Amino acid sequence: MENLEALMHGFGIALSGNHIFLMVIGVLLGILVGVLPGLGAPNGVSLLLPLTFGMQPVSAIILLSSMYWGALFGGSVTSILFNIPGEPSSVATTFDGYPMARDGRPTTALATAFGSAAFGALAGVVLITLAASWVAQVALAFGPPEYFAVYFLAFASFIGMGGSPPIKTLVSLAIGFALAAVGIDTVSGSVRLTMGIDEMVKGVSFVVAVMGLFGIGELMIAVEEEFHVKAISSKVEWREVFRTLVGLPKHGWALLRSAAIGCWMGITPGGPTAASFMSYGIAKRLSPRRANFGKGEPEGIVAPEAADHAAGTSALLPMLSLGIPGSATAAVMMGGLMIWGLNPGPMLFVEQKDFVWGLIASMYLGNVVAVVLVLLTVPIFAALMRVPFFIIAPVIVIICTVGAYSVSNSYLDVMLMMGFGVLGYLFKKLHYPLAPLVLAIVIGDKAEDAFRQSMLMSKGSLGIFFAKPLVTTLILLGVALLLMPTIWRTIGRMMPRSEVKP
Amino acid sequence: MVSGRSLEAATALITGAFGAAVIVSSLDNGIGWSAAGVESGTFPLIVGLVILAGSLFNLVQGWLHARAVILGPSELRRLATLFVPAAVFVGVIPLIGMYPAAALYVFGALAWHRRGSLLLAAIAAIGAALALYLMFELTFQISLPRGALGTFFGF
Repeated sequence: MENLEALMHGFGIALSGNHIFLMVIGVLLGILVGVLPGLGAPNGVSLLLPLTFGMQPVSAIILLSSMYWGALFGGSVTSILFNIPGEPSSVATTFDGYPMARDGRPTTALATAFGSAAFGALAGVVLITLAASWVAQVALAFGPPEYFAVYFLAFASFIGMGGSPPIKTLVSLAIGFALAAVGIDTVSGSVRLTMGIDEMVKGVSFVVAVMGLFGIGELMIAVEEEFHVKAISSKVEWREVFRTLVGLPKHGWALLRSAAIGCWMGITPGGPTAASFMSYGIAKRLSPRRANFGKGEPEGIVAPEAADHAAGTSALLPMLSLGIPGSATAAVMMGGLMIWGLNPGPMLFVEQKDFVWGLIASMYLGNVVAVVLVLLTVPIFAALMRVPFFIIAPVIVIICTVGAYSVSNSYLDVMLMMGFGVLGYLFKKLHYPLAPLVLAIVIGDKAEDAFRQSMLMSKGSLGIFFAKPLVTTLILLGVALLLMPTIWRTIGRMMPRSEVKP
Repeated sequence: MVSGRSLEAATALITGAFGAAVIVSSLDNGIGWSAAGVESGTFPLIVGLVILAGSLFNLVQGWLHARAVILGPSELRRLATLFVPAAVFVGVIPLIGMYPAAALYVFGALAWHRRGSLLLAAIAAIGAALALYLMFELTFQISLPRGALGTFFGF
């Protein structure tokens, strides 16, 4: 009940003219970056970040989170109409969304996607409303060892459940940690890992990394694959939209299951991309219409979309209540929180009630705004896709360059960004995950501090991580997640080969 | 032509070299336990070792598995048409500044693909530079680099 009261208070904050305006702007910009290949939610949010420094934190987070929702929706539009995923997390939507649109039912495909997406997002927000403050309350009692254990758990779940080759994930994660350590050490004040370049004392900003990894890298992938835009009619028939939305409940079980998968993957940082693939895979395995998957099966759209949005939304839960972002975009937003002078984590729920509940309330509103706007603007953004790629590419390169430069007016950052671009391309090409790298840059220092403070408490003994039941459980859970890939492989070997892959 | 094998190997070598650099660099900061707690080089050392070990593993794995060509001549050519101009654009920023660099970049891209007239390309180029100026210099008061050329003209 206390939560509901706080939520109502939050609606009071979010429902102002100014904030609704920011939501609309954020969603539209989000759809734009979602539609454009090469620009995605992490980039878009990073680009907007400098513009929010003069704002109230609650207004700023409403703008940024709305952009996130817009980007999640925008990515599905191009997946369905052009077979080009605008966002990595909407790749799974192309499997059935595009065939359905190609067969002359683009409106049905879009409406199914948006309807399930909205349901997934709603599930995520409800979960945040109910659980976030409770998690924060538990976390208030956390000391450094518990925090380190939670960080460990988060990173372990990337390796165990992210879906990428575990050692590649580990390397990506560790590179992020190393980059986070560059510059002045917060504990001792000494300068680390500058490789002889004086300017590196300022450290490596996550914005620079995001611009390169997700911007330039993604662009390189896009030109290399040379997609052909085959236009499908992008006219939205409203009657069909309503008919589809009314018919969605018959996929109720798939919706619930996918939302649950999404929420789980969002909270334990598996991320929306892994969530959508996992949900699609499970839907395909369980569905009686298995053979129809890949040919325009509605549940093939419902499953990835609901999971994608549920994961994207619930990724904010650990960010708010523990200070651990559940996705790359959430990591960028958390970087923003720290720049605005807020301390992400359980104290937010005590000290910044307006901020937290204003944000949560805006998530309900923002998703409604996003569904309406995305339906209204489908034809406009679809037309944008017909702009030739050789025009879009330089624009995106210039935007990323200026974005990286403006972080601290440094040309070195621009050079670094290009380096990250090449790395991002190689990593994407070879299935190294990028999200763990960004996450580790943002929270690497915090994880290290937690470890070193724990060591100070225990005078250098690792036993502190096994001293209390809670810490021990978290650490053991983390170890179990780390071993997951190995366990699955062993089980896979022992099981008969019959039911693998229909 | 680039095979999956050599791409895997190159990436593993890059990450491995980075790991090695991190290890060497972290040794300067002191490793282990001192009166002030864990010394500041310890964490980077562990991380560097993880990167190096992981890269070695990926190197071997990549060498054993992927053999097929994953980047043919046409893919490489397309990559180059994106990356080379972008790298030139970034490279000339210290010389001629962001605005002329951006304008030339847009002009070059449009002229290269021969769509529309050169006049149109020139208009788009100036438009791009102007949009940057309005957006960053005026609206958000972020000063973009002027380059040696800008200094020379006192801009």
